[in-house]
Amino acid sequence: MPPKPRKPPPRHADTRKRNLLIAAAGAVAVVAVLVVVSIVVSGGDDSGTTTTTGGDATALFSGIPQKGAELGSQSAPVTMLQFEDLQCPICRAYQEDGFSGVVDEYVRPGKVKLRFAGLAFLGQDSEKALRYALAAANQGKLWPYVAALYANQGDENSGWVTDDLLERLANENGLDWARLQTDATSAEVTQQIDATSAEAARRQVPGTPTFFIQIGNGEPYVVQPNSLSIDGFRPILDDALAQ
Amino acid sequence: MTNRALRACIAVVALAGTAVAAYLTYVHYQPDALICTSSGGCETVQESSYAELAGIPVALLGLIAWAAVLVLVAWDSELARTLVAALALGAAAFALYLVTLQAFVIDAWCVWCLVNDVVLIPLLLILAVWRVLREPDV
Repeated sequence: MPPKPRKPPPRHADTRKRNLLIAAAGAVAVVAVLVVVSIVVSGGDDSGTTTTTGGDATALFSGIPQKGAELGSQSAPVTMLQFEDLQCPICRAYQEDGFSGVVDEYVRPGKVKLRFAGLAFLGQDSEKALRYALAAANQGKLWPYVAALYANQGDENSGWVTDDLLERLANENGLDWARLQTDATSAEVTQQIDATSAEAARRQVPGTPTFFIQIGNGEPYVVQPNSLSIDGFRPILDDALAQ
Repeated sequence: MTNRALRACIAVVALAGTAVAAYLTYVHYQPDALICTSSGGCETVQESSYAELAGIPVALLGLIAWAAVLVLVAWDSELARTLVAALALGAAAFALYLVTLQAFVIDAWCVWCLVNDVVLIPLLLILAVWRVLREPDV
């Protein structure tokens, strides 16, 4: 009886290479799908960030006292300081998320007033936007102008704070453009920026947004909401009002 | 390098990757943990519309992938070795896409994303492919 023919030894290296190629082809196909989904879902938004319209900022602030950088009744027992940079996307996220709830539930009823503490540490667009926002305070419209700037926020230091944008937002919010331009470059605005920057250093503000609560004339204390929605701010503000 | 040593190296890289991806996932779900600082970067990337893929955070996808590598490296077989290499290849291709997005679309850099995309994933790729192609231990 002739011996059974023996199987040739497996070609381990070839098998491994073949398996690797098959796996690589599969992996590349999966990644290609992921990339396509990513691009499609992002809607070809070349800025990479979501943009919003100005919304009904006028309605949000309607009837609420605005004095300088403060929004709300001067007799409100609690003040919330908001250290912000107008180029900061997290500040914009707060503006789009929890801010309107804070205004409707706490500021409008006179329980809380807000103080805008503008910083300009992210770059030249920050400073230009901040100057015009502070200048808008002279016309009693800092808050709607800030809201409009956030709604039109562009990529960091991309030059998005153009004169055209500033003028358009001024017109949309009923501001005197010529006066706004003059005030934006005034020594008074420079002084305000320097003062807020010094206050941020004194309070060891690590970045933006950073929130402080001040009860009456007491010393402000830093707070960290557990989210930027109104749900994150309710416990903080209710607790301050209960004291 | 022996299979055992390569497995150990892959496990170490995967543990580091898991830690980085877990941090980025945590940050994604806790936006209050993020603030804009003068160093900038992460918050822009994490806030961008590319931070999620069909509603799933990209950081979470990374976490799942790294966890899968850990499971596969614990299971020592020919199939597991090939799957780790496939995962590494896929991850490397996707990392290249993410780095390109940061450079040319979002125009901001996220340091922890770069640690993952430029250091850990290429390391995983080298180790995983090396492990598949090397001659078996005798």
